Amino acid sequence: MESVRRLLLYNIFFIVFSCIHCDVFKEELFIKSLPPSHLYTHFQFVTLVNSDTSSFHSHLAPRSLVEVISRFHVEELHLTLTEGQWRHNQWGYPVLDAAPGAELYAWFSADVVDVDIQWKKLTSTLSGLFCASLNFIENFNTVIPQMTLWPTGAVKAGQNVTSHLRYASLPREIVCTENLTPWKKLLPCESSKGFSALLNSRMIHNTNYHSVGVHVRKNCISNDCSENNLEIKQTVGLVYDYDILTSSEWSFRKLYGQGLPGACPLSSDSKIYVDVTSNDTQPFTLIPPPHSVVLSQRGGSDVKLAIYDVKPDGQMINIGIKHNRNSDLPVPIPPPLYFNRYVLGYGKEFGGIVTELTNNCWTSINVVVLENAPWWLPIQLSTLRINGEAESSLIISQYYSPGRSRQKPYHLELLMKLPPRSTTTITIDFEFVFLKWQEYPPDANHGFYIGSALILANLPTAKNYTSLPNTGTTFDSMLNASKLWYPIVFRTNGAMVSLPTPDFSMPYNVICLACTVVALAFGPLHNICTKELVLKPVGTPVSLLQKVFNLFKRKRD
Amino acid sequence: MGVVIKYLVAGLVRYWLIHLDYWQTIANRVEIATPLNSWKRLMEGVYLYDHNINPYEGDSFHESPIMLIFFHFLLTKAPIILPILFTILDLLTAHLLYKTSKAFTRIFKESQEAVLPEVAEESKTMLLSDTQLKEASEYVLSVYLFNPYSVLNCAGMTTTVIQNLLLATALWGASSGKRIIACVFIALATHQALYPLLLIVPIAILLADINKGCNKCSYIRTLLVFVLSWGFLIYLSAYIMDGSYNYVYNTYGFILTVPDLKPNIGLFWYFFTEMFEHFRLLFVCAFQINALALYIVPLTLRFRKEPVLLATVLIALSTIFRSYPCIGDVGFYLALLPLWKHLFTFMQQKFIVGCAFIITSVLGPTVWHLWIYSGSANANFFFGVTLSFATAQIFLITDLLFAYIKREFTLKHGSSRQVDGKPAKLVLR
Repeated sequence: MESVRRLLLYNIFFIVFSCIHCDVFKEELFIKSLPPSHLYTHFQFVTLVNSDTSSFHSHLAPRSLVEVISRFHVEELHLTLTEGQWRHNQWGYPVLDAAPGAELYAWFSADVVDVDIQWKKLTSTLSGLFCASLNFIENFNTVIPQMTLWPTGAVKAGQNVTSHLRYASLPREIVCTENLTPWKKLLPCESSKGFSALLNSRMIHNTNYHSVGVHVRKNCISNDCSENNLEIKQTVGLVYDYDILTSSEWSFRKLYGQGLPGACPLSSDSKIYVDVTSNDTQPFTLIPPPHSVVLSQRGGSDVKLAIYDVKPDGQMINIGIKHNRNSDLPVPIPPPLYFNRYVLGYGKEFGGIVTELTNNCWTSINVVVLENAPWWLPIQLSTLRINGEAESSLIISQYYSPGRSRQKPYHLELLMKLPPRSTTTITIDFEFVFLKWQEYPPDANHGFYIGSALILANLPTAKNYTSLPNTGTTFDSMLNASKLWYPIVFRTNGAMVSLPTPDFSMPYNVICLACTVVALAFGPLHNICTKELVLKPVGTPVSLLQKVFNLFKRKRD
Repeated sequence: MGVVIKYLVAGLVRYWLIHLDYWQTIANRVEIATPLNSWKRLMEGVYLYDHNINPYEGDSFHESPIMLIFFHFLLTKAPIILPILFTILDLLTAHLLYKTSKAFTRIFKESQEAVLPEVAEESKTMLLSDTQLKEASEYVLSVYLFNPYSVLNCAGMTTTVIQNLLLATALWGASSGKRIIACVFIALATHQALYPLLLIVPIAILLADINKGCNKCSYIRTLLVFVLSWGFLIYLSAYIMDGSYNYVYNTYGFILTVPDLKPNIGLFWYFFTEMFEHFRLLFVCAFQINALALYIVPLTLRFRKEPVLLATVLIALSTIFRSYPCIGDVGFYLALLPLWKHLFTFMQQKFIVGCAFIITSVLGPTVWHLWIYSGSANANFFFGVTLSFATAQIFLITDLLFAYIKREFTLKHGSSRQVDGKPAKLVLR
């Protein structure tokens, strides 16, 4: 009785608050098995805010975030905090790719004059909002991608978007509970109700890969785009290892430590999508049975999705699978494009970064590769080699912005055409930099992280492709969404180098020794220049005993 | 005939080293290539310029725009001649030094004749003979041609080869009384590396001594020509970079503020690696004043009559104390030392300095390898070696000056070290 009354109350609240001001909240969960040994679950919480409502008067949208967006004139913003490395060649593609550590990029509106100052303010504010070290984003680790990143939301026609874009990543950032808690506070139901109740930090940080993100953009409502609304999408991507779960039969209780206590009462749509394509080859049963199963044909790949429509009735749901019989391990289908990145050379003087791109497809793929080397890893453009050649016909266009020590990173973008069924190797040499002793981080011999390279690809097939189309907000937009191209931005794995270190205990000694050597020159030169040579008589050598005797003698006198 | 063979052998050695498989290693050696003069950075600058990217926007290129377009022209038109060009330029430097030293020995002779009446009777044997003087210039040539420091410098194809050529030309111009040549080339050298600025003082004195007449007018004229040509070069460089003076931050600014702390044979790198940020500016100023301004006035006043010695010492001191020295600079002033062969008998630390040079030259690459490649040593080892190398050079220079004033004294007062029949020793008072 009590629960029914509360439910009624919730429903009334829901109707009153969300419908009058037309703020909409939707929560979704997408589960996909990554054969042979991993499971991918992707949560997304979407809040659509009508642009008429002022930022100081929000309903379902988190006021703290909306205020930041409107105050700093942000058109579009993407922030991800990721731990672990997505393995594209084994797992296929995630819904949203993210660089290891923290990654932030944003477009500012055209009326912002000094974008750099606004960017600094934005990073500092977000740093406080998410308890992340985003305040370490400075000019020396920010780049302006020219070809790689494009806004996904509405853009005013004729606007120069690249000049108002800033991108930075902090590969050293460690993501933990302290980032998840403020992230959950932005949700209308926080973590008490709805899908977010599953996000138990104890279970999340046990995964092989977890990525927490906030994505804000503006969407057109009308056809001519004269009106738009604000879309705030909060995502969590998790990859579980069956070895850690101890079996390949998963359930909510195993994954999240508890069942789902119903949908969030404020949400208008709460759906769970489970990819059951592999059921044909490796039969299993979903428990409880899904409400519907749909077949999505998209770009040459057929995907079967089981859909659960979750109601805010407070009933515990524990979805899981049971294998019908022990079958052979399924073989993963290699994705059309995958890549690898590593550091060349030995010693701490010279090295090289290699990015390997493998096009597994029957047709050539156009990609943009963004190499972003920090200032302490100066790359030399003259050493750029594509498959060992200095002048490669694969490069269609190239952009290079040289770095400056302590001011600007090195930034190289290549628009390339990858020939079908081939591996392309991009090599560029760098020189190790010797930093000042106070510029080394604590534990300097741990090494320095190099951020990921960004790869924008237009894929010809949707094999392994799970991203939503640009115009879509929820997962139902993915069904049968065949397009000519499937654009996606990948992040390669990061790398690490060990910079040569000075002896940190030596400053006083070094200052003293070096100054002594300078004094060794100054003293004699001063003498030579100011004094003259003279002959001075020397007495016969006096023995020590005589000296002592003389001393006494003088005293007696 | 002998001279021709010397040139031929030295040229072949250099040319062979450039075509060796190990050339890359030589060109990348930390003792040979600094951020300022390395071939790699020159290539990068030219490559960027060729691709319409301003090389001074980044942090990889620190040569003057004049060098940039010179090498851009060579690399795009005839890259094949570069090894032979570097060899020829270095041989030309040697030849100019040879000619300079011949002119210098003439100056020695004249000044010796001028002081002849003051020379003590018993010291007459110490006067320089013609054969001795002739020998000296032969030695200068041999030392420059076969000194491993200069050979490796040329083999590494550093821009110090050009720097040395400019300096040698300037000295030659000064020694033969050609004011325009001396001033223009010293301006070119200054425009490239800033520190040759010091040499305008001995050059002005030399020119005034050789072109006899009004001394003050000569000084002013020399200074004027120098300032005008330096100003013109700065303007020309800006003209090449489309009127932008931003290159100054990457050339003079880079030399003066020492932002790149890559180890070299000098004193700056570890000192400013370990410097407390608070005191950095103070010590940068102190070290640069030490290298650029501190010794010029006292040494000029003391050795006003000996511009050749002044030039030698100033080149050596600016090499020791400059922010990015390399062994090419060391090789250049070492080649001038045989001019002072007659002082060697008065030098006390020849053996120590010689040993220190050999030991540090062997130990330097060894501890570098241990630190950077094996990981079994640390920065202190290499710092210790560079410190002793600098100390050895300082001992060499101060010893040379002491030897000079001792010889001066001995010429005047004879070699007996007695006062009123009692034994005595030479002291500074």
